[in-house]
Amino acid sequence: MRALRDGYIVGTGVFLPGEPVGNDAMEDHLGRIEGRDSLFGKKALRWNGVESRHYAMRPDGSVTHTLAQMSAEAVRTALDAAGLDRRDLSMLATAATQGDYLVPGHASGVHAELGAGALEVASFQSVCGSSLMAAKSAWLSVRAGEHDVAAACAGEFSSRWFRPSFYEGTALVDAKGRLRAEADFLRFTLSDGAGAIVVEPKPRPGALKINFIDIVSLADRFDPCMWAGASVETRADMTNAWAHLGPRAAHEAGAMALLQDFELLKKVIRAWVGAYLQKVDEGRIAPAEVDHCLVHYSAKSLRAEIVSLLENTAGMVPEEKWFSVLREIGNVGSASIWVMLDRLVRSGRVQPGQKILCVVPESGRALVGFMMLEAV
Amino acid sequence: MSDAASDVLRKLTIVFTEFEGRLEQTPLIRKLTRGRFALEDYQAFLIQLRQQVKDGALWMSRAASNIDDAHLELRSTLMRHAVTEHRDFRLLEADFIATGGAAETIRSAEKNIGSEALSAWMFHEASKPNPFGLLGAMWIIEGLGSIKAQEWGRRVKDTLALPDDAVRFLLYHGENDAAHIEEFKEMLAMVLPDAAIAARIVKTAQVTARLYALQIEEILP
Repeated sequence: MRALRDGYIVGTGVFLPGEPVGNDAMEDHLGRIEGRDSLFGKKALRWNGVESRHYAMRPDGSVTHTLAQMSAEAVRTALDAAGLDRRDLSMLATAATQGDYLVPGHASGVHAELGAGALEVASFQSVCGSSLMAAKSAWLSVRAGEHDVAAACAGEFSSRWFRPSFYEGTALVDAKGRLRAEADFLRFTLSDGAGAIVVEPKPRPGALKINFIDIVSLADRFDPCMWAGASVETRADMTNAWAHLGPRAAHEAGAMALLQDFELLKKVIRAWVGAYLQKVDEGRIAPAEVDHCLVHYSAKSLRAEIVSLLENTAGMVPEEKWFSVLREIGNVGSASIWVMLDRLVRSGRVQPGQKILCVVPESGRALVGFMMLEAV
Repeated sequence: MSDAASDVLRKLTIVFTEFEGRLEQTPLIRKLTRGRFALEDYQAFLIQLRQQVKDGALWMSRAASNIDDAHLELRSTLMRHAVTEHRDFRLLEADFIATGGAAETIRSAEKNIGSEALSAWMFHEASKPNPFGLLGAMWIIEGLGSIKAQEWGRRVKDTLALPDDAVRFLLYHGENDAAHIEEFKEMLAMVLPDAAIAARIVKTAQVTARLYALQIEEILP
């Protein structure tokens, strides 16, 4: 049996559509439910701490890029950064919360936009954590000797879900035209863009060795916490999911929107912390050895809740080592971790031998991914 | 805070999050979180809670009586806890009566299989000399008070449209989480560092969590 090879991230790339959109302009961009200002928006923005983001949709609802195009652009940029051409690529793993189509898989769409000849592809669909699922697939393909150049990308086109037509005339809007908080928070939180990495079995200057990617699902214990395809009330019963109801009834029930259960989120956060501390306890993650900590937290306020718990349990990476782009670029779901990594790498802060811990919690149905990188 | 205390707190936090995940999967809590909780479920829940709340102050007193002179401060702390809590089961009875239940029903109810096991375990541990492992049991049980009780209480109240005076134990009994952790750290400092005690605290938390969950599982088997 051939020995496993190491896998190195040799290039990162990001694609953010259009100009940054500030907090004052975002509701003009997304549109207003029943023509009214959101009651919840300002509170949501205070909570998540986002000040600027990008949208692939214009205020008139027309689209500047599809998700497949954004993702393909990020892959091209990552290949460029690695000094490679798209024809060098032999494997592409994609991640998204929801691709442009329901069927077929998103990887086919990204490959179609990318060109690059015949490829092996893999489509990963989840929420934020899908990024690391795709990365693990690309990394293991290289590690096993199946491919010499593999790319993993992750992208979101959240804003198309946030148009008023997704909510109006559904159970999510009450008689006074107010949208349920489960739906409104995400409208003011998520935005668009894509990121990618390229993995090779050989290091080059500036490469990041992937030490491990661990993904932990805790779906056995929780109902869906962030979801689409079921109403708030019936989400635990999959026989009531959208495809069973049919598209019209599903829309009316408020099942065709991205939703978040805040009450459950508090429990899921504790479960994430437990999963992280388990890694610390096993010695898999040594907080003292981490030089840069990239945590995809969806809201500034979540970070505060977690910090005191980590400080009490010797699990904390000192705050000065944390790196985030949440305020400037927003929460791009699965793409966020690659946006953070790209900005960190391009900032020139990473020195040879340093370790980068990436943590990607996904509230979806309680999942958390960990990736440890080591600069060559 | 010492490394020994941080290590124990980390392990205890892991045990608690696993415990919380197990509770979420029990039929009773599934009904509660999915909005299908019925009045009978709440009454059955109160009946079993009463058993261990009533025992709680008793095993704590017994544990205090088994703590030696070298740990007087910890003995004082446990005795204060026992005094604070030993009448709490009356609050549970009052909640039960406010839901329309009869005092005689909750007072004469039997422990379920899990409650029997939990109670036997607690008294067994408390009967040992210097039963410091019980700090792990307190972490679990007080963690329920500070982290879960209010969440459950609000759910019960909303789902069953009950008045506050039928949900007082769950809604108002729990102290806040920050104070709970600070006091717990002080207790840990009284017995650590000591590798054997640290291990016993974690083990006791694991067993207590498992038996507590068994008690909840057995409410709707």
